[in-house]
Amino acid sequence: MLRVVVADDSRVMRQIVVRTLRQAGYDWDITEAVDGAEAFQIARAEQPDLVLSDWNMPNMTGIDLLRALRAAGDDVPFGFVTSEGSPEMREQADAAGALFLVAKPFTAESFREVIEPVLA
Amino acid sequence: MSTLTPFDTQISAIAEEVFAAMIDGEPGHLVALPDGAPLTDPVYAWVDMHAGVTGRALLATDVATAHDLARALLQMGADEPVGEADLVDAFGEVANVVGGNLKALLPVQGTLTLPQVGRERPDLSGATQVDAVALMWRGQPLDITVWQI
Repeated sequence: MLRVVVADDSRVMRQIVVRTLRQAGYDWDITEAVDGAEAFQIARAEQPDLVLSDWNMPNMTGIDLLRALRAAGDDVPFGFVTSEGSPEMREQADAAGALFLVAKPFTAESFREVIEPVLA
Repeated sequence: MSTLTPFDTQISAIAEEVFAAMIDGEPGHLVALPDGAPLTDPVYAWVDMHAGVTGRALLATDVATAHDLARALLQMGADEPVGEADLVDAFGEVANVVGGNLKALLPVQGTLTLPQVGRERPDLSGATQVDAVALMWRGQPLDITVWQI
């Protein structure tokens, strides 16, 4: 079973992400993180198979989380789930090493579209 | 000085998409309310967009409606009590997603603040209202306004 970290400062949104992953058919072992700093600690300690992160969070943003992981030599597969899907943010995410960016609001289908290539 | 251009119909389109995907699981439950309706026990949620110009997306609805929004987002029972933390989280996240999608339409990108939620309308003295959209979710009023601050 894949181990996945879902990072979002909103408990409501974490619950929606987890629910939507299950609707998309992904019965994964999911660990929740309340911000980028906690996600960094969990990712470094547990070496998950995928990190799904919000962008705009207190303490450590999603893009800072990704950059900190890569600076630490951690190449964990990483995707953003964020309310701001502008072309500039997609470029920033891509340049930092993210595999994809899903804009909120999302559906089970939009998750499958970006996750299936990662699993292939 | 830069000015914020009205989003016009894009606000309703974004809000309808957000509610259909995140809250209702299907379209049709958030509709226009052409003449608007007064709020009797309002609660407000807002995010600020700093993108060359500073704008604020402000959502307002009645507390009872915000409770129903939280129940829908958290898939709670119709009579299940909603705690204050869940109300703030849920209504704030709706404002965050609506505001984030509006910010993505701006020609200059910048930052989006974390959502804030309060029973008092935030201070908008000196601000200019750019858009005002009156909506109705499952029969209850929900207003979205955009301000240049």
